[in-house]
Amino acid sequence: MKRTWCFLGGGVLLCAALPVLSLAADPAKPTVKAAYPSGPGSLAGMWESPFPPDQIRAPGAPPPPVEVGPAPLKEPYASELKAQRKAAADSLASGKPAINNGVRCIPGGFPGMMGPVFPLEVLETPQQINITNEAFSQTRRIYMNETQVAIDDAEPGFFGHSVGRWVKGVLEVDTIGMKDSVRMSGAPHSPNMRIDEKMRRTGPDTMEDQITITDPQYLTGPWTFTYHYKKMAGYKLGEFVCENNRDYDAKSDSQKLDLH
Amino acid sequence: MLSATVMASALTLALGGPALAHHSFAMFDNEHQTKIEGTVTDFEWTNPHVYIQLTIADPDGKARKYTVECANPGILNRVGWKFNVVKPGDKLKLVVAPLRENPTGGGLLHEMVLPDGRVLSNGGFAGAATVHF
Repeated sequence: MKRTWCFLGGGVLLCAALPVLSLAADPAKPTVKAAYPSGPGSLAGMWESPFPPDQIRAPGAPPPPVEVGPAPLKEPYASELKAQRKAAADSLASGKPAINNGVRCIPGGFPGMMGPVFPLEVLETPQQINITNEAFSQTRRIYMNETQVAIDDAEPGFFGHSVGRWVKGVLEVDTIGMKDSVRMSGAPHSPNMRIDEKMRRTGPDTMEDQITITDPQYLTGPWTFTYHYKKMAGYKLGEFVCENNRDYDAKSDSQKLDLH
Repeated sequence: MLSATVMASALTLALGGPALAHHSFAMFDNEHQTKIEGTVTDFEWTNPHVYIQLTIADPDGKARKYTVECANPGILNRVGWKFNVVKPGDKLKLVVAPLRENPTGGGLLHEMVLPDGRVLSNGGFAGAATVHF
């Protein structure tokens, strides 16, 4: 064991790592360590939701918690979304589901990509953190310690423009620049929507992402929800290139299985 | 009539929620799962779905093409499948939810019995098999 000793000599602080002799730790008193990591490097690895989707839970098992509550939409947006939900439910009940981005092999984008159930891969460097969802190979890039661009300079995309920094062991991320067509739980948004995240380890094998969406033009107040994750030991992310979409008939713009 | 859980999940998908799956399963009749047996003519290990092409026999003995939709490679890898677990020529026993519009042409996989007797699920997203071999 070594301990760092410092001396003030000639106005200069001199430090050296020297072996601890008489001050050696008492082996009867184990060194106090954090129960789990935090800060840079703590989020790297493979993660998945601990909550299986409702339709595959075991008989009798409790339903998973609701991680994402309803969007606090203003009117007329709330009524419009309600009508869209009813139309979608009616289309499902008829056995002819309405077309959506997923059927066309268009990825869900951020922040939906942070949700269950496909695995997430987090790669960290000091300059950049990449998060890839196995579904559709969606990758978002978080640029560390950079100043966020103006909204007018953020080219709208599926994953937006994200900047991040570590604050007391928590990764805080600010994202702007989401495409109009990228809608969390179907909720519309303005070009001024801003998404803040606080990502942190919550245990030896767990992590969470607290997401807050602010959009005064469309929302009555902040929309906050939290995704939870558990580690996937030994898993390597699979490819997902949408190369063989046999469920979408472009000619009729409908969901139809190609039986070739 | 769709089950409430499948309906709720499919509704989430239809409105662009979290990345559950590629599409809803409402075009399949999950309330009337059936057992089929056939010989594999092609196995497409692809995204967004894996497909098994089969030749099955009609009740009158006439050969007929049949398409089985499965989950995707990532999901199936996690429940014991492998890219080459099925090969052309394999004789399979399958539990499927038939297409509502073309029940004799194709269906959604719920359970598969391989030639060596191993039983594999479809990863659960389509719901559990209600009948078995």
